[in-house]
Amino acid sequence: MVELILFYFWAAIIIIAAIFTVISKNIYHSALWLGLTLFGVAGIFVLLNAYFLAGIQVLIYIGAVVVLTIFVITLTKEITGKLEKQHNKQIIPALISCLLCVFLIISAVLKTDWATRIIHTTAEDKTAKIGNLLLTDFVLPFEFASVLLLVALIGAIVIVSIDKENENA
Amino acid sequence: MLSLMHFVILSVILFSIGIFGVLTRRNAIGILMSLELIFNAININMVAFSKFLTPDNIYGEIFTIFIITVATAESVLGLAIILAIYRMRQKIYADEMNLMKW
Amino acid sequence: MDNIILTGILIPVMPFLAFLLIVSITKRFKLLSAIISITAIFISLILSIVVLNWQLKNPGMHLKYDLPWLYLNNLKMHIGIIINSLTCIMLLVVTTVSFLVQVYSIGYMKGDDGFSKFFAFISLFSFSMLGIVIADNLLQLYIFWELVGLCSYLLIGFWYYKPEAAEAGKKAFIVTRFGDFGFLIGILIVSYLAGSFDFVDIENFIKAGNISDKLLTIIVILLFSGAVGKSGQFPLHIWLPDAMEGPTPVSALIHAATMVAAGVFMVARLFPIFSSSPDAMLVVAYIGGFTALFSATIALAQNDIKRVLAYSTLSQLGYMMLALGAGGYVAGMFHLYTHAFFKALLFLCAGSVIHSLHTNDIWQMGGLHKKMPITSITFLIAALAISGIFPLSGFFSKDEILLTVLHSGNKVLYYAALFTAFLTAFYMFRLYFVTFFGKEKEESHCHESPAVMTVPLILLALLAIVAGFVGLPGKFSIYNFLFLEHPEEVKMDYGVAITSNIVAISGILLAFIIYGIRILSPDTIREKAGFVYTILKNKYYIDEIYLFFIRTVYYNLTEGIKWFDRHIVDGAVNLVAFLCRWSGNKLKFTITGRVQNYALIIVAGLIFVILAIYIFMPDLIFAGGVK
Repeated sequence: MVELILFYFWAAIIIIAAIFTVISKNIYHSALWLGLTLFGVAGIFVLLNAYFLAGIQVLIYIGAVVVLTIFVITLTKEITGKLEKQHNKQIIPALISCLLCVFLIISAVLKTDWATRIIHTTAEDKTAKIGNLLLTDFVLPFEFASVLLLVALIGAIVIVSIDKENENA
Repeated sequence: MLSLMHFVILSVILFSIGIFGVLTRRNAIGILMSLELIFNAININMVAFSKFLTPDNIYGEIFTIFIITVATAESVLGLAIILAIYRMRQKIYADEMNLMKW
Repeated sequence: MDNIILTGILIPVMPFLAFLLIVSITKRFKLLSAIISITAIFISLILSIVVLNWQLKNPGMHLKYDLPWLYLNNLKMHIGIIINSLTCIMLLVVTTVSFLVQVYSIGYMKGDDGFSKFFAFISLFSFSMLGIVIADNLLQLYIFWELVGLCSYLLIGFWYYKPEAAEAGKKAFIVTRFGDFGFLIGILIVSYLAGSFDFVDIENFIKAGNISDKLLTIIVILLFSGAVGKSGQFPLHIWLPDAMEGPTPVSALIHAATMVAAGVFMVARLFPIFSSSPDAMLVVAYIGGFTALFSATIALAQNDIKRVLAYSTLSQLGYMMLALGAGGYVAGMFHLYTHAFFKALLFLCAGSVIHSLHTNDIWQMGGLHKKMPITSITFLIAALAISGIFPLSGFFSKDEILLTVLHSGNKVLYYAALFTAFLTAFYMFRLYFVTFFGKEKEESHCHESPAVMTVPLILLALLAIVAGFVGLPGKFSIYNFLFLEHPEEVKMDYGVAITSNIVAISGILLAFIIYGIRILSPDTIREKAGFVYTILKNKYYIDEIYLFFIRTVYYNLTEGIKWFDRHIVDGAVNLVAFLCRWSGNKLKFTITGRVQNYALIIVAGLIFVILAIYIFMPDLIFAGGVK
C-alpha cells in the first residue's frame, strides 16, 4: 500500500519533469528538469530494492552528466539576444508517433502473461552481491567498461583540444 | 499491489517522452538530454524485470551498471563534439546542419 | 551391295569436289575449271549408269544406308542414301543434262569474265540436285532443297551488274521461300507425329492410320506447297519467267530440266504420303492442270524466245503435277524424264540463236534455217517431241498422262489437258516458224554455233527421239522398272493416242497457217484479239496484282505494326527509364541532410509497421500466451 503511493509519487515526478525537459524553451531549465527526472528515477530504483544503483544514479548521472551538460550549455550559449525556437517543425508527426508507440507497446505488454514469480518481501542488500558478481562472472565486461571510459576520456580531450596552429579568433 | 506492469508502463511513457524530445529539439544538447531520458527508461525496465521475473539473480542490475557507464561515456563524447561544432559555426542547432545531401 | 552404296554416295560428291577445287585453286584458269567441272559430272554420269545397271539387275529392290548425324533429346537426325528405281532415273537425267549443258557452256560462256565462277556454281548446283535425289529423309531433302534454291539465285543473278538479273535472282529466292516455308512446316508436323524424318518410317506410320484424315490433308498440302514454289505452279509461278535473265545454259539446266523438276520429284518420292489423302491429290491435280492451261495461254503472246520456253516449262510442269495428282506415279516421272531432254534441247537451241544474233526478240529473227541448219533441225525435233507427235518421246509420256487423267474419271481436267496440248503445239510451232522460217532480216550476220555447242544439241536430239521407247512394253519398259508396289501393266488406248496426235497436228497446222505461210497475218490476229492479247501478253497482270497487294495491304499493315513497335514496345522501355529518373527527381527532397528528419522516418516507419501488424496479424505480437 505504502509502496503504491510511493510509486505514484515518484512516477509523477519523473513524468512531469521529463515532459518539462523536452518542452522547456530555455535550455538551462531543460537541464535542471533533467536533473529532477534522474532524481525520480533514483527513487524508483529504491522502490525496486536496487539501493546501490540508486546511489550510482545520483552520483553519476546527476552529479556528473547533468553538471557536464550545464557546463557545455554555458560554453555554447549564443551571444545574440534573439530568442531562437527550441523545437523544429516535426512536432506533430513526432507526437503522433510517440502516442502510437505508447499505445502499441502498452497494449502488447498488458496482454502478455509475464511469468512473474513470488518475490521476497524482505529487502536485502545486494550491494555486496553486485560487487562480487562484477569481479567474478562479469569481470570481462567490467574491464572493457574501464577501457571504454579511458577511450572516451582521451577522445573527448582530443576533440575539444585547440589546434595551436589554426586557432580560432 | 505493486506489480511489474506499473514499472513497465512508467518505463514506456518515459521512453516515448524521450523519443519525442530526440525528434523535436533543435538544440543539439537538448537532443542529448532526451537521449538520457531514453536510457533511464531502459534502466527502469531492466531493474524491474530483474526484480519481478528473476528475483534469484540480479543480472538486470549488473547490466544497468554497464548501461550507465556506456551512456555516460557517450554523453561526454557527444558534448565534446558539440563544443567542436560550436567553435566552427557559433551555433548548434540540429536542423541547420544539413550539408550531407544532394 | 556396299559398293553400290559407295557409288551412290560418290555421285554427288564428285561435283562438290569440283566446286571446291574451282573456288579455291583454279579460278584463274578458265579452261581448267571447265574441264574439272565437266570431268566430275562425267564421272557422276558413269557412276549413275553403274547404279542403273545394278537396279536393272535387281528390279524392285532398294538400298538404304544411313548414319546418325545429330541427336537432340527425341529429335534424331540422320544422313543417308536411298537407291531405288526413282533415284536411278533421276540420277541419270540430272547427270546427263548437266554434262551436256556444261559442254555447251564452254562455247556459250566463252569470253565472259565469270567463266570459272559459272562452272563452280554449276558444279555446286549439280551437287545439290544430286543430293536431293539420293536423300533418304525429309530433313536431308530440305537441306539440299534450300541449297538448290541458293544455286538458282546465284546463277540467275550471274550477271549481277545488270539490275534486272539481280532483281530476278531476288525474286526467285523470295518466291520459292514462300513455298519452302509451307514445306518446312509440313515436314516438321509430319516428322513430329511420326517421330522420325525418314521416308520409310513416315510412310509406315501413315499406313498404320495414325493420323486423322483432315490433318493428313493439311500436311500433304503443306508439303505440296514446297513443290508449288520450286516447280512454279500457280500462284508461285512468277519467278520462273524472270529467271530467264540468267545465262541460257542455266535456264536449260536449272529451269527446264532439273531444279524445277525437283518439285515433281519430291511429290513422286513422297507419293505414298500424298496418295493417302485423296483430297490433297485432287488439289495437286487441279493446281497442276490449271497451271498447265494458264501458262500455255500466256505463252501464246510472248515475243521473247526464252519467255515462251519458260511458260512452256511451266505448262509442262503443270502436266506432271496433274499426272501425279491423278495417281499416275509412272506417268508423272516419265514425262519429267522425257521433258528434261527436249526442254533442255529447246533452251540450248534458243541459246545458240541468241549467241549468234545477240537478241532475244523473235520478231528480229527469221529465216535462220539456212544459216543455222543444225540448230534448226534439232529445234524442230524438240518441238515435235513437246507437241507429242508419234513416235518421239514426248508422245509416249504425254499420252501416258492423258490416259491417267482420263482413267481417274475427271472429265474437266482431261479436256483441259487436251486443249493445253493443242496450245502447246501451236505456240511451239509459232516460235519455230517465226524464228527459223520466212524472210531473212538483212545484215543478220549469224552463223552456226561451234561444234562444242552443236554436239550437245545433236546428242540431246537423239535422246529426245529414243527416250520415249521405254514406254513400250518389253524388257526395258519403264513400267517394269518404276513402280511403287508392283509393276503396272502397260495400257495402250488407241483412242487417246490418236486424239492427242490429231490435236497436236491441228495446232501445228494452225501455226503454219498464221506464222509459216502467213495466210492469216499475225498482225490482224493481234488486232482482232485485242484486249485478250494484251492480257495474255502481260501475263494476266499477276505480277502487278501481287505488287499492289504487297505495297498497299502489306505495307499498311506493317506501318501499323511499326508504329506499335516504336511507340508501345519501345515506349514501355523508355517509360521505365523515365519513371526512374522522374521518381528520383521527386524523391530527392527527402534527403534533407538533417538527422532528425531521418530519425523521424525511422521511428514513424517502425511504429506504422507495428501498427499494421497489430491490426492485421495480431497473433504475431503476443508471445508467451495471451491472457
